[in-house]
Parts: sequence; C-alpha cells; structure tokens
Amino acid sequence: MANVLDLRRRIRSVKNTRQITKAMKMVSAAKLRRAQERAFAARPYAKMLASVLDSLVRRVDPYDPETGEVRHPLLAVRPEKRVTVVVVTGDKGFAGAFNTNVLKAAHRFLNQRSDVDIDLEIVGRKGRDVMRRSFTTAAVMDDEQMAHEMRLRERKARIEITGEHAGMLEKLSFEEAAHLAHQLVERYSIQQTHAVYLVFNEFQSVIAQRVLVERILPIKEIGKDDIAAATEMEREEREAMAKAARSSGVSLETEDTREADEEASKFGTAQVDYIYEQPPRQLLQALLPRYISMQLYHAMLESVAAEHAARMMAMDAATQNASEMIDAYTLKMNRVRQAAITKEIIEIVSGAAAL
Amino acid sequence: MAETNSIRVRLVTPEHVFIDGTADSVSLPSRSGYLEVLYAHAPLLAELGAGEVTLHGGNVGDQQFFVAWGFVEVLPDRVTILAESAVRPNQIDVEEARQELEQGHKMWNEAGDESRRYAEANQVIHEAEERIAAAEGAGPTA
Repeated sequence: MANVLDLRRRIRSVKNTRQITKAMKMVSAAKLRRAQERAFAARPYAKMLASVLDSLVRRVDPYDPETGEVRHPLLAVRPEKRVTVVVVTGDKGFAGAFNTNVLKAAHRFLNQRSDVDIDLEIVGRKGRDVMRRSFTTAAVMDDEQMAHEMRLRERKARIEITGEHAGMLEKLSFEEAAHLAHQLVERYSIQQTHAVYLVFNEFQSVIAQRVLVERILPIKEIGKDDIAAATEMEREEREAMAKAARSSGVSLETEDTREADEEASKFGTAQVDYIYEQPPRQLLQALLPRYISMQLYHAMLESVAAEHAARMMAMDAATQNASEMIDAYTLKMNRVRQAAITKEIIEIVSGAAAL
Repeated sequence: MAETNSIRVRLVTPEHVFIDGTADSVSLPSRSGYLEVLYAHAPLLAELGAGEVTLHGGNVGDQQFFVAWGFVEVLPDRVTILAESAVRPNQIDVEEARQELEQGHKMWNEAGDESRRYAEANQVIHEAEERIAAAEGAGPTA
C-alpha cells in the first residue's frame, strides 16, 4: 500500500497539472473570442462579394447562347478524374478530437474516391505530420512551367501531397490564403485538376460546429455551399462545449449579424441599371478568383476558431478530471493516514496491556 | 447650399470594415483611371486598380488610403469599396514596395512570349509603382 508521503507527492503533481490545464483553457477561451471577432469582421466582405457576384452572374449569362459553352473556366464542370483536396487542420495538439475528426473526414473522402487521382494540399502542422506518414510528396513542378508546357505532372502514386502549409494559421492573413487560392485556381484553369474540395471544421457558434467536405471548384452556385459530406457534433460533445464555454466566460450566443448581413447583401444588387465601367464579363472574370480566395480564407478563419473552441473544451475536461483525481487521492491518503494511526494506537494499547 | 450633400462611404477589406463614414466627395482608382464621385452620382460598378482612395470633407475629414485591387459600387447616396488590401499611405513599407517592383521587372523580363504572364508582371509593377508613389506623396507630414 502506498504511504502517505507518496500520495501527498502525487496530489501535488496533479494539482500542478490542473493549474496548467486551467491556464490553457483560459488562454484558449481568450483566443477563441478573438478568432470569433475576426471571423465576424470578415463577414461583410464575404457577403458583399457573394451578392455582387450573384447579380453579375444573373446579368451576364455565364453560358454562351450559341455554342452553349461556359464563358468562364471556373464555372466549367468537368468529369472528375483528378481532384485536389485541401485539408485544414490545426498547428497544435491538445485540442481533443479536433485534428482527428478533420483527418477522419478526409480519409473517408479519399476512400470514397478510390477511382480518381488525388492531390492533397495540407494546411496545419498536425495534418501534415499524419498525412506524410501515409502518402508521398509529389515531385515539385512549377505551376507556371506546367501551364507553359501544357502537360501533366508525372505521378508517383495515386494520392500525392502537392503542398504543405504548416504555421499558416498561426498568424492568418488574407494574403496567404489568397496565395494558395491563386495556385488552386491556376491548376483548375489549366485542367491540372478537375475539382477542388475543402475539408475543414466549420464554426457557426461555440455549440454549432461540424466537419465539412465542401466543393469550392467548379463554382456551382454563388452564395451556396456545395457540401459533399458533413459530420455534425454529437449531443454530448455539444453539452461539454457549452459547459466549458460557460465556465470560461465565452458567450454562447452568436452576435446578431442579421442586420449587417442584410445590409451587405444589398451590395451591387440595387434595383437600378448600373453603369459598368468594365464590360460585365471582365468584371466577372476578375471577381471569380477572388471569391475562391474569400471562401478559403473564411474556412481557415472558422477552422482557427473551432480549434480554439475544441482546445478550450479539452482543457476544461482535463481540469475536471484532475480535480476528480485529486479528490480520490485525498480520500485515499486520509484513509492510509488513519489506518497508520489506528495501527499505532493498537500497538501502544496492546503493548500497555502486555505489561 | 443649405444641406450638405454628403455620401456614405464604406471601405471593406477581407479582414474587416476599414472605414464607415461620410464624405463630400471620393476619388477612386478604377482599373481604367481615377474617377471622382460626388453626391447623386449615377449607379456604377467598377473594378478597382491599385492606387489611392481619397475622401474629402464629411465627418471623417480628408483621408487617404492606398488600396490594391478590388471593387466599387457607387449609388447616388453611398459608395462601397471592396478592397483586397487597404493601408494608410504613411504605413506603406517603401522598401518592400521597391523589392516588389524589382520582382515585377524580373517577371516582365522572364515572361517570354506569353501574354498572360506579361499581364501578371504588369500588374505587379503597376501596384508597386503606385504604392511607392502613394508613400512618397504622403511624406513625413501626413
């Protein structure tokens, strides 16, 4: 049986751990709040871009009336023989099942599409580490060179990693997201890939999150998400998340964005005849790639918020477990101590009786 | 004039709403040249190039911003600018812009016979030049 000293040491160590997990939880809560604000601040632009695009597409018939061909390469739907999958994971662990869930969804998708060639673009250190173990890295070939020579990259395997973007989410900027989007758009327009899917953790609010597989290219309908698969949160998970949020002062309600959204969706859609400075088709051409950039940036913002929320929840659970452990050990320690005292008394008493 | 014919101006970037205020007039760098917007301008949609957005009068006072590529919607009583990036001229990193300019020239030289790459290089050069011009125009007093 463990002695009192050992137990006391054990309790102290668990207490220290609890301190750390508690601090991590509070830090995650603060970061979550900031991430939520950033996602919120990015909404007007996204809404406005979507609404102006929508009205443009309606004005400029994207299909050529004579030939029936699509006027913009990003709207062209082709049979999917080579697809690109962008997997957005986190850079750090200690976030419960966050990274696992995203990777699981990605793997499920890869298994479903066992008949096509797949290029992987991985955002986040955690995803990179896992994917590297199972798949090979593609031979690097300059996108521009490919466009120039109009030929396909030679493949080493059916599934290859074409890009890794670790540390991108730590200080996420639109520019970086746009850079990646630009590459994707480029590859799509030279038909290096036939569709681009995005696997990420969507964040609607603290208690409404899901892992999504969304197709971002070709653009099918503007303003609507083309969702290929979704994994909703479990009820238990949702409750745990709500509890963690309450105890660390993160509000569960999402800010009321309806008014701002409505205002933003009026952009470029007023019931008047606009003068187009450039021909509408040209405007459309400039806008579509930006729409992709925005979608990618948005997915990353949401993923960051979801990661912090997951970490907050995991750390809340860890803190609670530590507390339970401390209670159990304290009880055990007291029992051991009492047993020792009782034993000593018995020894003294029986010693006295023997005299 | 008895009433002030001011227009509502919003400058929105992917990261946040940069400005939400009013102004008497706004000048914008459209893709095909600068344009000035006053109250009761005809509805207009235009693509923005790189350059300076200037707000005159209104509750925010005279202000200048450097924007790079975006989109603008003009309605009689308001102007909404969607810009991919927006900075105040005195916050421009001139050194970085110069590097970009050099990079642009390099791209131009290497573009070979492909018009698409020329266009891209020209875009980079144009943006860098405008950026430098905006930074120098602002000067230390701005």
